[in-house]
Amino acid sequence: MRLLKFNSLRKVCPTVKLARFLPVFLIAFFVLIYPGAISAKDKVASSSENADRIVSGKVTDEATGNPLIGATVTVKGTNNSTTTSTDGRYSISVKDDNATLVFSFVGYTTKEMSIGDASAIDVTLKVASAELSEVVIGYGTQSKKDVTGSVKSLQPGDFNKGIINSPEQLLQGKVAGVNVTSTSGEPGAQLSITVRGPGGIRTGSTPLFVLDGLALDNSSTGGGNPLNFLNPQDIASIDVLKDASATAIYGARGANGVILITTKRGKSGVGSISYSGTLGISSIAKKIPVFSTSEYKKQVVNVGGVLDDKGGSTDWQDVITRTATTQNHNLTLSGGANKLTYYASFGLQDQQGIIKHNDFKRYTGRFNATQKFLDDRLTIEANMTATSTYDLRPDYGTVIGSAISNDPTYPAYDSVGKPAQYQNINNPLQSFNLDKEITKINRVIGNITATVKLAKGLTYKLNFGIDNSTGTRDVQALPSTVPQRDGRLDTYYTTNRNTLFENYLTYNTDWGDHSLTALAGQSYQKIFLQGRNYSINKFPISPVEPQYNPGLGQELTLANNQPGGYALVNELQSFFGRVNYQYKNKYLLTATLRADGSSKFGGNNKYGYFPSFSLGWKINDESFMEHSAFDVLKLRAGWGQTGNQEIPSKITEALFTSTVSSSSSYPLSETGPYPGGTIYTRLANPDIQWEVSTQTNIGLDFGLLEGRLSGSIDVFNKNTNKILLQVIPADPIQPANTVWTNVKDMNINNKGIEVDLEYRVVNLKGFSYGVGGNITSLTNEVTKSPYSVIPSGSASGSGLTSATINGYINNQPIGTFYLKEFTGFDANGLSVYRDVDGDGIISDKDRIAAGSALPNLLYNFDINLGYKGFDFAANFNGVSGNKIYDNTANSNFYKLKIFKGLNTTDEAIQYPQESVNNAAPVSTRFLKDGAYLRLNNLALGYNFDVEKLRINHWVKNLRLSITGQNIFVITKYDGFDPEVNADRQINGVLSYGIDFLSYPKARSIIFGLNVTF
Amino acid sequence: MKNISQKLFLFAIIVAVVSSCTKLNEQILDESSITGLSDKQVADGLIAPVYARLPDIYRHTTYFALQEISTDEAILPYRGGTDWGDNGIYLSLHRHETTSTDPNVNDTWNLIVQEISRSLTALSSLKDNKDPNAPGYIAEARGMRAFYNMLSLDMFGIVFVKDDPTAVSTIIRGEEAVNYLKSEFLAVEPLLNNTNGPGRLTQAGVWGLLARLYLNAAVYNDRYANNFNFKQQDMDSVVLYCDKIISSGNYALSADYFAIFGNDNHTNKELIFAVDQRPDLNGHNRMAYFSLSGDQYPLPQYPAANGTDGPAITSDFYETWAQANAPLDPAQADPRFYKQNISIYTNPGDSCVSDFNMDRGILRGQQYGLLRVNGAFVKCSSGLFKVGKLFNQSRSNPNLPVNFTEMVDFTTEGSNYSTGYRVEKYEFSRASSSGRNFGQADISIVRLADIYFMRAEAKLRKNDAASALADVNTVRMSRTAYTLQPTPISTINLDLLFRERGFEFYWEMLRRTDMVRFGKYEGSWTEKTNTDKNKRIFPIPQNAIDGSSNLPGYLVQNPGY
Repeated sequence: MRLLKFNSLRKVCPTVKLARFLPVFLIAFFVLIYPGAISAKDKVASSSENADRIVSGKVTDEATGNPLIGATVTVKGTNNSTTTSTDGRYSISVKDDNATLVFSFVGYTTKEMSIGDASAIDVTLKVASAELSEVVIGYGTQSKKDVTGSVKSLQPGDFNKGIINSPEQLLQGKVAGVNVTSTSGEPGAQLSITVRGPGGIRTGSTPLFVLDGLALDNSSTGGGNPLNFLNPQDIASIDVLKDASATAIYGARGANGVILITTKRGKSGVGSISYSGTLGISSIAKKIPVFSTSEYKKQVVNVGGVLDDKGGSTDWQDVITRTATTQNHNLTLSGGANKLTYYASFGLQDQQGIIKHNDFKRYTGRFNATQKFLDDRLTIEANMTATSTYDLRPDYGTVIGSAISNDPTYPAYDSVGKPAQYQNINNPLQSFNLDKEITKINRVIGNITATVKLAKGLTYKLNFGIDNSTGTRDVQALPSTVPQRDGRLDTYYTTNRNTLFENYLTYNTDWGDHSLTALAGQSYQKIFLQGRNYSINKFPISPVEPQYNPGLGQELTLANNQPGGYALVNELQSFFGRVNYQYKNKYLLTATLRADGSSKFGGNNKYGYFPSFSLGWKINDESFMEHSAFDVLKLRAGWGQTGNQEIPSKITEALFTSTVSSSSSYPLSETGPYPGGTIYTRLANPDIQWEVSTQTNIGLDFGLLEGRLSGSIDVFNKNTNKILLQVIPADPIQPANTVWTNVKDMNINNKGIEVDLEYRVVNLKGFSYGVGGNITSLTNEVTKSPYSVIPSGSASGSGLTSATINGYINNQPIGTFYLKEFTGFDANGLSVYRDVDGDGIISDKDRIAAGSALPNLLYNFDINLGYKGFDFAANFNGVSGNKIYDNTANSNFYKLKIFKGLNTTDEAIQYPQESVNNAAPVSTRFLKDGAYLRLNNLALGYNFDVEKLRINHWVKNLRLSITGQNIFVITKYDGFDPEVNADRQINGVLSYGIDFLSYPKARSIIFGLNVTF
Repeated sequence: MKNISQKLFLFAIIVAVVSSCTKLNEQILDESSITGLSDKQVADGLIAPVYARLPDIYRHTTYFALQEISTDEAILPYRGGTDWGDNGIYLSLHRHETTSTDPNVNDTWNLIVQEISRSLTALSSLKDNKDPNAPGYIAEARGMRAFYNMLSLDMFGIVFVKDDPTAVSTIIRGEEAVNYLKSEFLAVEPLLNNTNGPGRLTQAGVWGLLARLYLNAAVYNDRYANNFNFKQQDMDSVVLYCDKIISSGNYALSADYFAIFGNDNHTNKELIFAVDQRPDLNGHNRMAYFSLSGDQYPLPQYPAANGTDGPAITSDFYETWAQANAPLDPAQADPRFYKQNISIYTNPGDSCVSDFNMDRGILRGQQYGLLRVNGAFVKCSSGLFKVGKLFNQSRSNPNLPVNFTEMVDFTTEGSNYSTGYRVEKYEFSRASSSGRNFGQADISIVRLADIYFMRAEAKLRKNDAASALADVNTVRMSRTAYTLQPTPISTINLDLLFRERGFEFYWEMLRRTDMVRFGKYEGSWTEKTNTDKNKRIFPIPQNAIDGSSNLPGYLVQNPGY
């Protein structure tokens, strides 16, 4: 296939926007005229018709003998088909003895039987092994056995269980090479996810998420994780594309991996209604072990402090936390007739946070439908989901900070049971009453696709999708007399709109030993982001909350209440092609090319080209392997280039603005208005482009012992360069202090080995067991950075302002902790740090690379047991080789704090020689081992035998389950939880592995009921 | 028919592909480069940014920190182990151990280089402007470029020469830099008038800056010299420009010393060049807020406006006051030292007041003020505001009185919340709801007293002690607005002149420059013993050095860093 010459694309393209919708009209036109063509064909067919006869039989599961309900039976080469009934039976009319029947069922291997003169044909179908199943690869699907890239497909059975807010949680630990870290234990909080290590130093190293063919934009939708909108129950599969040969079809967005989410669809012939409900009970998994009241009194005196004993005994962490309940209800309807299938669901999750006054609610509705027309030549698929989330949050920083450091002798409540007022400590109950934040996000995503079979093997597909979300966040500070506050309401509105329009052709053909699939397409995506904020001050003390009536505010000044806002449009236009070629069904080749043009790129670099090649060799199909133990043995090798276009908008264009602000204007006269100062806010860089990742991958897939043992090993090496940074120009005299550029030569390398293994045994007596797991070894290194250090991770807490914790330095991994090395104490009990440069002064120049927040080993393993109706699963995941900077301890747990009467853990008194006056600057003293092993899920379920219960006429399936989530964590880390990543970025340069007053993690028990009617 | 429809369909696809093309030109919705302005608006819009960052340069954590906390006039310990720790940067600054990654150095540098660039943008863009003000604006922009470069020369030892906005600046140092600045100031001096002061650069402002440049030329010419060579002709030039200002008759020494730093000081005739602060635009109150206790609330109408227990004066600096005025207490001897506004100090029964004004000058001992309990001020039964003894309530130390002590250093005792005598030289802005915002007072850059003092110093360096003494006493004797009347001094020498500069200009961001010029900067005081001459200038920020790494040898770090 000849690839287009892309260089001249911009000249070729006219800009008639209306014409973008022309294909829709043309399809409609086509649909109108096509019946003529069909009917002509039908006439020809019917003229040679023989007399019909009926063939009937039963379709059953080969292993269990159970009837398969809703299996499809088709006369090969015709559109004549039927589905099996509830007892697995079918009957179909056939025209002659030479006909062949094709039996197919989702999740089972398709079987063909020629009928001959038989009138009854019973068939058993075998469960499709993973190798035979289809994987979603972007603009199509492919049989797992033919895939040449590094792709991992997860089905609902593989997902993590429990209380789930977003899809990343479903796959945490499940895919080698994918690192999912929650930033805190807060419901709906951001998660950081990287595929094969971070490739850039800025935000935007998140993989591309594609939902039913619609590439999502990772921009914030107004608060929390933008992916919170998805109901996990609606997900049919998650496919993770890891290497460049798999992701290059997504070009400038493929560098950080691609995660394809496919939602459930109905099956024709089976109508079902199912309900699933869970009730979860959560409580804090681990408190920070601060001193108890009696211990506190002892320790304050021990270190020579003055005990200010108010006579109470308060566990302030108990004061702010609670046993929280989470309810989840889902109702699903699905089914369909021959030409129309549908799936509809309604979901509700009402989750209480383990910190009081924190609630997260999500309501989702989904409707997916597929309709076939014109003799099945035209298929229309429509997917639509609407979600509303509600998030109520207290002022966590204050609440958690007070809870771990407040004097425990202070009573939380006063004599009349109200939150006690103190001048010198903050009662978090006061904070709960006065400060809250409410975020409401509504998101609607819909896409419609039309697939047309143009000729034998040639298919055209049109995909049109819209993702629209609006968010409102109210930050409300109530007025009060004691403490005296005026009250304030800040409201932030966000609008995100993502429109996708794409067309592509797929062509399949076979000749002799050759088989070829080719894809060519075009895509246009437009993303519009808008944000606005308003505020008003000075509310009267009244029972009316400011969020319900901002007009009650009495003060609006430009200094305090200047509205703000932004609006952006990003456009992405792409052309892509892929060829899959097979020779003798053993030798596989995949080549892809995508040309991505982005409005974010500079005028001199509008289009980027992203090629990839990969080869596969099915060794087990070679004749010399005929008697080997391997059922599957496939070698894969691939190379490709991908990009990361998650660069800020507008940086290609220079901008000088005229504004009246403190930093741009100045009084020129004694009176009169101030002039608008004209300043450059940005310098142009027409050369700005995407970051480029070049990745090679070699992998081996294998299956042994008749499929019981299977797995894969992948080795990869990913180099990212043209790193995008905001840099300081060589000549400091510039209209803008910094300029965006792609740093020449700077390189970020990720390399690693990923191993997936699975052992599954199904015993004929109904006993099954399996163990599976994966392990990833990953190293990351920054090289050729022109900067001595790019700092990130701003420290928090008294005395720590302006200190940084992370540093990007040459020959060290991303997430490196760049710190002064704490070596002990001097004779006065003051901290001593290593004087690395030997100048006698301990300064920033004495910092060392003290380890990284990125684990070099990630692992996960699970155990499954099944007997009759019972199933049991345990899932562990862990990381090692990483460190955590405990900024919470750094700002709270050292001797001076307990001396001053603040509560601490025993970390504060661990050094007897430490002076009570010793300050605790940022140093390796508070750097801790972050390795952990977590029993993430423990699930026990029972499927009732509905036939035995004699309810099978109206209940198809009945299941009860109990799931434990976050059962235990083995770790040396003494904060709330070792899986933590507080966002302490500096100017968009990401921080890693910092724990600062993070929301504690919950341990939950979830009771579940599933019924299918 | 089938073929036709297929062809039609293929055609549809081609049309679809082609028609959905876009040119991908970036569409910017929320910002626009300005258009459609009149010549006057363009001219005003270009000159305003040349001054706009002055309030940020003259801020507590930028120019103030670098010029004062590095000297014997100010010290900022890690207060109580909880406040102003800032990763140790204020301790390092006082000990002359600042490094190239210091954020305050970096911020100050960024502001200065930004303003040099804005001056260049203005002066090159105004050339074609038809507005009648344009020629004057060009002169101001060029003069301000020289002013910012002078700050850079003083602090970082380098000057940027750049006349073509597209070229790379030439970096010059030492005598070459001094000569360049002189020629720039001299070039604009005849083009400026004297009507736009003190907020903008005037002819007199340029004269003042020229006097300052000539006075410090010996330092700038040979930064690390053991003894600076103050040339006669430089001293003559100092006298020349000081004379021009004094003889112009446009300026007058203020009888009320603290009025120079008051909220309505914009019309004070002592100010020659100052940062024009307006609360509704650009004013900050950091000068007045920085040193006060966190439990001092200067405004009855704003219970959130307090101090922060920032820097204090060192005991060494205080001792210069005590010794100079012994046996009298400095507050009884020199009206510039202290001005009492709260009557309770002298009349202990006066504990209910209708309004409230902070004391000014150097604050010592037990402090009295508005009592804030649970976020509200306590009132007397009469409805008046209760004034009483202050304690460190907000520091969780309700038993520790806000009693400013002479002793302040980096030991635990010396670092407590109330150690060190504090400075409330600038008046606390009446509009400041947070204590930090909405400053009203202009911040002095050049004022007439300094002109007299510079002339005195030049004359003294020319061995004309009598004239020098006369100038110093002219300033001393001018502060006659109070019951306490000033007294003259009887002798003068360089040490005494340096000491007198401290009394007149304490905390006015001149001290580091003065100490270097008088050879005092390598001395020792409180926590400072470093004698490294390299510390006379600050390091060039590491960020800037890193940024220029693609031009080897371009931006060279100062020795010793």
